[in-house]
Amino acid sequence: MDPNTLALFQTLAQGLLTGGIYALIGTGLSLIFGVMRVINFAHGDFLAVGMFIALFLFQRFHLDPYLSLLIAAPLGFGLGYLVQRFLLARLGDRLESSSLLATLGLGLILSNGLLLGFGAQPQSINVAYATQTFKLGGVQISLPLLVAGLGTLLAIGLLNLFLYRTELGRAVRATAQNPLGAELQGVNTTWVQAVVFGLGVAFAVVAGVLLLPLLYAFPTVGENYTLKAFVVTVLGGLGNLPGAIVGGLILGIIESLGAYYLSNNYRDAYGLVVFLAVLLLRPEGLFGRTVKRV
Amino acid sequence: MKNTFPVRFRLPQALCTLALSSLLLGAAQAQGTVKIGAITSLTGRFAEFGKQQMAGFKVAVDEINRKGGINGQKVELQVEDNASDVNKGLAAAEKLVNAGVGLVICEYSSSLVKAQAQYLARQKVPALVTTSSGDDITNPGSDYIFRLNQPATEYARVLFNIFRDNKFKTVAMFTGTGAFEKSVADAARGFAKQYGITIVEDQSYDKGLTDFRPVLNRIKAKNPDALFMVSYAEDSVALMRQAREVGVKPKLFAGGAAGFALPDFIKDGGSASENVLVATAWIKELRYPGTQKLNVDLIKALGGSDPSYHAAQAYAGVLVAADAIRRAGSSDREKVKAALNTTNLQTAFGPIVFKDFEGFKNQNPIAMVAEQVQSGKFVPVYPKTASPLKIKFER
Repeated sequence: MDPNTLALFQTLAQGLLTGGIYALIGTGLSLIFGVMRVINFAHGDFLAVGMFIALFLFQRFHLDPYLSLLIAAPLGFGLGYLVQRFLLARLGDRLESSSLLATLGLGLILSNGLLLGFGAQPQSINVAYATQTFKLGGVQISLPLLVAGLGTLLAIGLLNLFLYRTELGRAVRATAQNPLGAELQGVNTTWVQAVVFGLGVAFAVVAGVLLLPLLYAFPTVGENYTLKAFVVTVLGGLGNLPGAIVGGLILGIIESLGAYYLSNNYRDAYGLVVFLAVLLLRPEGLFGRTVKRV
Repeated sequence: MKNTFPVRFRLPQALCTLALSSLLLGAAQAQGTVKIGAITSLTGRFAEFGKQQMAGFKVAVDEINRKGGINGQKVELQVEDNASDVNKGLAAAEKLVNAGVGLVICEYSSSLVKAQAQYLARQKVPALVTTSSGDDITNPGSDYIFRLNQPATEYARVLFNIFRDNKFKTVAMFTGTGAFEKSVADAARGFAKQYGITIVEDQSYDKGLTDFRPVLNRIKAKNPDALFMVSYAEDSVALMRQAREVGVKPKLFAGGAAGFALPDFIKDGGSASENVLVATAWIKELRYPGTQKLNVDLIKALGGSDPSYHAAQAYAGVLVAADAIRRAGSSDREKVKAALNTTNLQTAFGPIVFKDFEGFKNQNPIAMVAEQVQSGKFVPVYPKTASPLKIKFER
């Protein structure tokens, strides 16, 4: 293959894998919105929390970041569960309007808490596989990036099993469709919402852990990812899970191709231009349906 | 005469103190101390650099006082904290101006120092810049602003000199968009033109970008002789990791200081940092008189950890200030300024003279050093005065 075609395939592969991580972040945000109509503006900060959990475990106990998923994911779930139970649930009827400020404030507390605990300087970890690659028909693919991509697949697969194969998953879907109706059928919607928020946060935390071997952690790293998650979910349609996955992949590929063929300086602009175009032409998102709210 | 009076006073008390001072002056001069003003970051995000500077200050003051001080008087540094903030830095400068110091030694961050130096120049107080490297501090500069460390241009020059010496034909540039990075990148474009080196790719990235792969793919396809990067700490590791991952293979990876020169670059970057060439301001291997001793003293002052060039520059700053006050015969600001103009010192940091050249004013024309990561350690590779080892090429 000539170098230019090869570079195109390499860019595509990397864009796809980066998009996979965006999808993982977006899925968590979309899940929460789908069930609770709450946009979690602290989503990126939960991702930062995930990075720092893995960083801490690595520095203190030399625990491999991928192993620390076993600790970080339940921690993230617990954190999200508690936030819903003791913060968002108390907003009651004003949930949809007040949750914006509540989650925004929560995000500030999280990022400043990290600042207090770990300092402002960016920190990264040095693991043996950080730069390991393998070749696939001439295309070099980074091992940690591939693991992140596969991790996304696994997490989303498990989420689907949970939603469509378990009783609790059915309760979640019921709550998403009609909270009042679900409540009348005996579903404990407060509990379901707490579980969903916990799951959404766990997704963000897992994404953070998967990113750590690739990147570096600093307390405000989340800001960037909150924005990305928002773009991803709106691209696919808010609350639409397959939409979030496709939205993530599209964003990853567009950013990579734009940076490769045009100029890197406007990288964030490419994704946002597509975002604007979708908002103009299909305000409900690529896969969203216009929903009449009662 | 009030400048030599060793008590800090505020304006309301000034007249009273002035009257008293004429009575006490004789006694004060005989037993008192000479105060030198200094601003650094004791708190805030630049505190790490402040720690290094404080060590340099301490070693220099101890050394001067051990040798009898300035004309029999002990030197004392009045250090003010800028809290890593522009406005607090200006307040610190104002405090020192009112305290009547003969000159002020300025600190690390270019954005803070630029504002302070201009303020000090307006107050006609000499500002001695030891560490910040933005070109525009001394270019165009002012009669009252002096800088003993290398400006941003030099970061590019030393690396491009190596490219030229090794007959490189093509270079790809990938730089951040901060003030310092831009300054170095601009200089690099100039040297490329001057040395006849073609820039095959010239890309920049915004802060917060973490995926450099698309650009690295492009650079890989162009196969340049060198990849020239200017980035802060966090990006330098990510950049090199992704370059290895994508498989970019120039003859040399070159980092224009900032993040690449820090010990953390090797610690966090691991094998990805191997063979990377870095421009830096000072290393202990330099063959200036006293460099080894300074390194030992600084390690002691830092409680056992290795000094960075910031410490050596702060050390040199105090030496230059003391030398100027000694030759001026007092802390009179005009006399100190005149004395700074004729500075000619050999220090463990390097030779120090203040010259006007290429648009710079009162700038010390000292060259940078290039070091390379070899077997997980920084080793000097350029210039001759740094006892260089051979450069290792990637291909």
